[in-house]
Amino acid sequence: MTATSEETATQARPGLRDMVDDLRARLAAVRNDGAGGTESARRKHTDRGKLLVRERVDRLLDPGSPFLEFSALAATGMYGKPGEENAVPSAGIVTGLGRVSGRTCVVIANDATVKGGTYYPITVKKHLRAQEIARANKLPVISLVDSGGAFLPLQDEVFPDRDHFGRIFYNQATMSGEGIAQIAAVMGSCTAGGAYVPAMSDETVIVKEQGTIFLGGPPLVKAATGEVVTAEELGGGDVHARTSGVVDHLANDDAHALAIVRSIVDTLPPGGAAAGTTRLQPAGEVEEPHEAPESLYDVVPADTRTPYDVREVIRRVGDGSRFHEFKKLYGETLVCGFAKIWGHPVGILANNGILFSESALKGAHFIELCNQRGVPLVFLQNITGFMVGREYENGGIAKDGAKLVTAVACSVVPKFTVVIGGSFGAGNYGMCGRAYDPRFLWMWPNARISVMGGEQAASVLATVRRDGIEARGESWSAEDEEAFKDPIRAQYEHQGSPYYSTARLWDDGVIDPADTRRVLGMGLAAAAEAPVPAPSYGIFRM
Amino acid sequence: MIHSILIANRGEIALRVIRACRSLGLRSVALHTDLDRSAPHVLAADDSVHVGSYLDIEAVVAAAVASGADAIHPGYGFLSERSAFASAVEAAGITLVGPSAEVMDKMGRKDAAREIAIAAGVPVVPRGDDAGFPVLVKAAAGGGGKGMRIVRSAEEYDEAVAAAQREAASAFGDDTMLVEKYVEHGRHIEVQVMADAHGNVVHLFERDCSTQRRHQKVLEEAPAPTITDETRTLVTGSAVALARHVGYRNAGTVEFLLDTDTGEAYFLEMNTRLQVEHPVTELVTGIDLVEVQLKVAAGEPLPFTQDDVTVTGHAIEARVYAEDSFGGFLPQAGTTSIVRWPERARVDHALESGQVVSTAYDPMLGKVIVHGPDREAARRALVAALDDTAILGLTTNAGFLRALAASDEFRDATIDTAWLDHATVPAPSPDLARVFVAWVQAMLVAVVDAGHPFQNDGWRGAADPAPTVVELDETVLVDRHRGRVGDHAVRQLSAESHLAVLEIDGRREQAVVNVQPHIAEVVHRGQRFVFDRPDVFGDHAVDAGDGVILAPMPGTVLDVRVEKGQAVSEGDVLGVMEAMKMELALKAPFDGTVEQVGPTAGEQVALGALLFEVVQG
Repeated sequence: MTATSEETATQARPGLRDMVDDLRARLAAVRNDGAGGTESARRKHTDRGKLLVRERVDRLLDPGSPFLEFSALAATGMYGKPGEENAVPSAGIVTGLGRVSGRTCVVIANDATVKGGTYYPITVKKHLRAQEIARANKLPVISLVDSGGAFLPLQDEVFPDRDHFGRIFYNQATMSGEGIAQIAAVMGSCTAGGAYVPAMSDETVIVKEQGTIFLGGPPLVKAATGEVVTAEELGGGDVHARTSGVVDHLANDDAHALAIVRSIVDTLPPGGAAAGTTRLQPAGEVEEPHEAPESLYDVVPADTRTPYDVREVIRRVGDGSRFHEFKKLYGETLVCGFAKIWGHPVGILANNGILFSESALKGAHFIELCNQRGVPLVFLQNITGFMVGREYENGGIAKDGAKLVTAVACSVVPKFTVVIGGSFGAGNYGMCGRAYDPRFLWMWPNARISVMGGEQAASVLATVRRDGIEARGESWSAEDEEAFKDPIRAQYEHQGSPYYSTARLWDDGVIDPADTRRVLGMGLAAAAEAPVPAPSYGIFRM
Repeated sequence: MIHSILIANRGEIALRVIRACRSLGLRSVALHTDLDRSAPHVLAADDSVHVGSYLDIEAVVAAAVASGADAIHPGYGFLSERSAFASAVEAAGITLVGPSAEVMDKMGRKDAAREIAIAAGVPVVPRGDDAGFPVLVKAAAGGGGKGMRIVRSAEEYDEAVAAAQREAASAFGDDTMLVEKYVEHGRHIEVQVMADAHGNVVHLFERDCSTQRRHQKVLEEAPAPTITDETRTLVTGSAVALARHVGYRNAGTVEFLLDTDTGEAYFLEMNTRLQVEHPVTELVTGIDLVEVQLKVAAGEPLPFTQDDVTVTGHAIEARVYAEDSFGGFLPQAGTTSIVRWPERARVDHALESGQVVSTAYDPMLGKVIVHGPDREAARRALVAALDDTAILGLTTNAGFLRALAASDEFRDATIDTAWLDHATVPAPSPDLARVFVAWVQAMLVAVVDAGHPFQNDGWRGAADPAPTVVELDETVLVDRHRGRVGDHAVRQLSAESHLAVLEIDGRREQAVVNVQPHIAEVVHRGQRFVFDRPDVFGDHAVDAGDGVILAPMPGTVLDVRVEKGQAVSEGDVLGVMEAMKMELALKAPFDGTVEQVGPTAGEQVALGALLFEVVQG
C-alpha cells in the first residue's frame, strides 16, 4: 500500500463514520424508545396498559431474534420535518423480518401513537411492500393491528386506486390461497376497512377490553340508525370471541396476545414457508402425556349419556397433555385444537355435545387450517347428532352442517377417527365416519353406532304407526305400543354394538381406550411419508 | 473372626459401613426392598438380599444366614435399638455390631436407664416432687417427641398427663409416664463412648446437637462450643462410668441436657448404636468409628487408650433433608435431575443424579461435614460447602441449612434446642436466582442457534442489539451487549455444565442452572428456585375467559349447586343442564367467587342465556 492510498483511507473513514452516526441518530429518533409518536401520545398509549409498537415486535419475536426492519425512515420529511407536529415517523407502521417460534415471518405492526395508526398514502405503500416481500418469499404474515383506518383528509390518495387500501385485503386473500399464513392480533382499534385485516386472516387474536373490530364505529352507527352502543358492545373482544366468531382467541393483554400468536405460528410448517401443500409436517420430539392412559377408565363414564369433558380424553392422548385450542369460546360443543401425538402434529376435533351451526362452522374453519398447514386430522367421535327444532332448521343448520361435511370430505391430509362414544346420524358424517375415508377408524368397547338411538327409532316408528291406526278410527293401547317398541329397541341394541360393527368391517378394530395414543401414533407414522396434494373443496353452501 | 458383614440398613449409613468393610477387607452384604432394587447401597455392596421390609427381624436374620454373613451392622434407626432383634441375631449365632441384647433392653427403657445412671453416679434431671414447675411429662418407653407434654402449672397437670398417656399407649403400647424438671433453655450435649469385650471403655469427647427442629437434629458439631472444662470433664467421665457400669460393648452415645441458665448438665438417655452425627467426632479425633466398631465386634481390643484420644480443631455436620423448609417443612418427593455435592467437604450421602426419592423412607438424603482449625473457620467452610451443594429436581433444606449456618445466632452459638421451633429463618429472595436463569436463558438462545444470519443475537440495523426478552414469573430484559439483567449489572465469568459464575453488581455469585422446555430451575446458595416458562404450545384460552357461563344449548336446568357470593375452585360444578337427552355439567372456569346465578332448577333456558358468572380471585 502506498502512502497516498493510506492517507485516502484514513481521511475517508471518519467521513463515513460521521454519516453512519447521522444514520444512527435518525433511526434512534423514529424508534424513540418504542414508538414514533409524541411524548403525550406515547403516555396515553402506555397508560391504557398497552405496549408500544416496537415493544410489541420485540416481545412477539423469539428471544434474541434479529429484526430486519423495512424502510424505518419512511415518510421522513414528506408530511412534516422530524419532530414537527405533522411528521409521520416510520409512516406510522413498523414492518420487517424476524423469527417467531423458529419461523421467519413478516411482521406488520401499526404505531397507534402516530396519528392513531391511520393509513397515510405512504403507510399503505409500506404495508403493501411488506406483503410483496412475504408473497415472493412465501413467508407467514403477522399483523399487529392498532389503527383507525384510512387517514380521511387524504382519502383520494388512500382509497380508490389499484395499489391503495383495498389491495391489502386482496393480498391477504390471495396469499392465504397460496398457503401463506395470515395471522392477526387486534390490539387496539380496527375500524372500517381496517376491520378486514383480522377478518381476512386465517387465525386471529383479540385483546379483551382493548381491541375492537367494527365496520362502522359507534358515532357512525348512531348517525346511520340512531342506535346508541358502546365500542365494547359493538365489537369488543368478548363479542367477537364468543358470539360473532370473527376472532378465534381472546387474550388478557398485549403480552398474552403475542404469546398466543407465537403458539399459532408454532402450528405452521417449519421453516415458515408454505410447505403444507405438498407434504405433512414432520414429527418432532415425543413427550408422554401427564396422565397415565389407564386413567381413561376413570374419567370416561361407561354410559354415553353421562356428561364429561372430552378434553380429559385429549389430555391422555396428546404429547405432554398440551392442547392449543381453537375458538375455545365459540361453538363450544365441538372442541378443536392442535396437539402432538408421538411427536406428530395433529388437529383434533372432539365432541362435547350436540352439533350446532356455530360448532359446524368452527369445525369447517379448523379443518381448512389443518389442510393448509399439512396437519393430519384426528376425530374423537361421540355424537348424537345435529341440533333439531324449528329455530335451528330455519336458521339453516343443514347448510352449516353441509360445510363441515364438505370440509371433512374434501380434506387432503390423512384423517383418523376413533369412536369413543355414540356415532349417530349425520353426526357420523360430520365427524368423519367410515364413508368419509379416514385412513383408519377404530372403536372403543363402549361405542354405539346406528342411524339414531334405539329409543328414538322406536318412538319415531311408533308415532308413524299410531297415526295410521288412529286415522282408521281405531285405538292403540299403551301395552300394545310397548310390545311394538320392544323388538325395535332390541334390534338397535344388537346392531349398535361395536362387535356387530367390527364383525362387518365397519371399522379397523375395537381397541382398548388406553391404547388410543399408541394406535393413533402408529397410524400417523404409517401415513407420514405419503405426499399430500393441494387442497381443493367443493362449493361451501353459504 | 469376622469375614462377611450384612448391613441391615439403607442409604448413606449403609454406604458408610460398606466403605469401612472395604478398607478392612471384609465382604459386604446389603439388603434391599422392592423400592430399593437399584439404590446406591445395593449397587455398592458385594452382594444384596431382598427383604420385604428392613424392619422384618426374621427376614433380616434369615438373609444374614443365607448370605453367609457372620456379623450384622444395624446402622441407625430401623432395628438398631431393638433388643428383640439383638436377641434374634445372637440366637442365630451371628455377631451383632453393637451391645448385647440385655444392655440394649436396659438402656432402651428410660426409667431403667435413669436408675442405672444414678447408680453409676451420673447426674440426672430432678424428678417428681423435687422438680417443681415447669415439668416435662414423657412416656417411659418413648422417643421422638411422642407422648410428651410440657406442663407449666398444677392446673394443667392432670389433663396433660392423660393426653400424653393416650399418645404413649398408641405409639408404644405402654403408658408409663415420667415427670421431671423441664429445662427452658437447654443445649443438647452428647458423649461418644467406645467399649471392647476386654473391659476397656473410652470416650471420644462430646458433640453439641442443639440446633434441632421438633427433636430432629439439623446441625451438629464437635467439640461443644459453650461448655466449660469442668462440664466437659463431668459429662465425659459420667458417660464412661455409665458404660462401664452396664458392661457396655461397642459404640454408644450418652446424651445430656445442659441447662444454659444454670450451667448444670443432666443425663437424658443412652443411644446403643452408631449416631447419624458420628462423622464430626471422626473429624476432630481422626478415628474411624465404624472400623473400630467392626474390630471390637470381632473381639479385638480397642486400638487406642483414653490418653491417645485428642480433639483437633472443630467439625460441623449439616443434615440434608428432602423437605421444603420455607414451605412449612413439608416432605418432598421426586426425581433428582442434577445433584452436585461439595468437593471441599466430607459428604456422606446416597443421592445421585436421576434418583427417585420417595416418602417411604427417612427423608435424609445426605450429610455435609466440614472441619476447620476453629469453630468460625469450620462454620465458614460449611457455608461455602452448602453454597456448592446443588440438588435439582426436588426441593431440599440445603438453602435453609445455608441460611442457618450463616446466621448470627449460629455464629454466636446461642441456638438452644427450642430455638428453631419458635424462630423463623428468613426465606432467601428469588431475585438473584432470577438473574441467573434469565442470563443463562438469554445465553442459550444466542449460542444454541447460531452460525446463520438469523442467529439470535438481537441484531438491529444501525443500532445496538435489542435486549433478549426472557419470560419467567415476570418478564426480564437481558441486555447481553451492555451486561444488564433488569436493574442489575452482570458480567459472565464462566458457564459450563450447568454451573454459572456471574459477577452481579460487583459481587461474584455462582449457581447451578437447568433450563428445561417448560421450567427453569436454579440452585443458588443451596436454595432451589423453580420458574415456570410460559408454554407457547399450551392452552392460552383458559385464563382469558371472563367467567361468564352461557347456556351452550337450549334445554332444562336440572340442578343449581351454587349461590351468589360462594367461593368456587376451577372445575367445580356450578349446575347441570339437560337437552336432547344429554346432560351437561357447567363448571367454574377458574378459582373465584360466584357473582351471578341466572336460572333456578327446572327452568327452561334459551341458547346463550346467562347461567352463571364467576369472578376471578
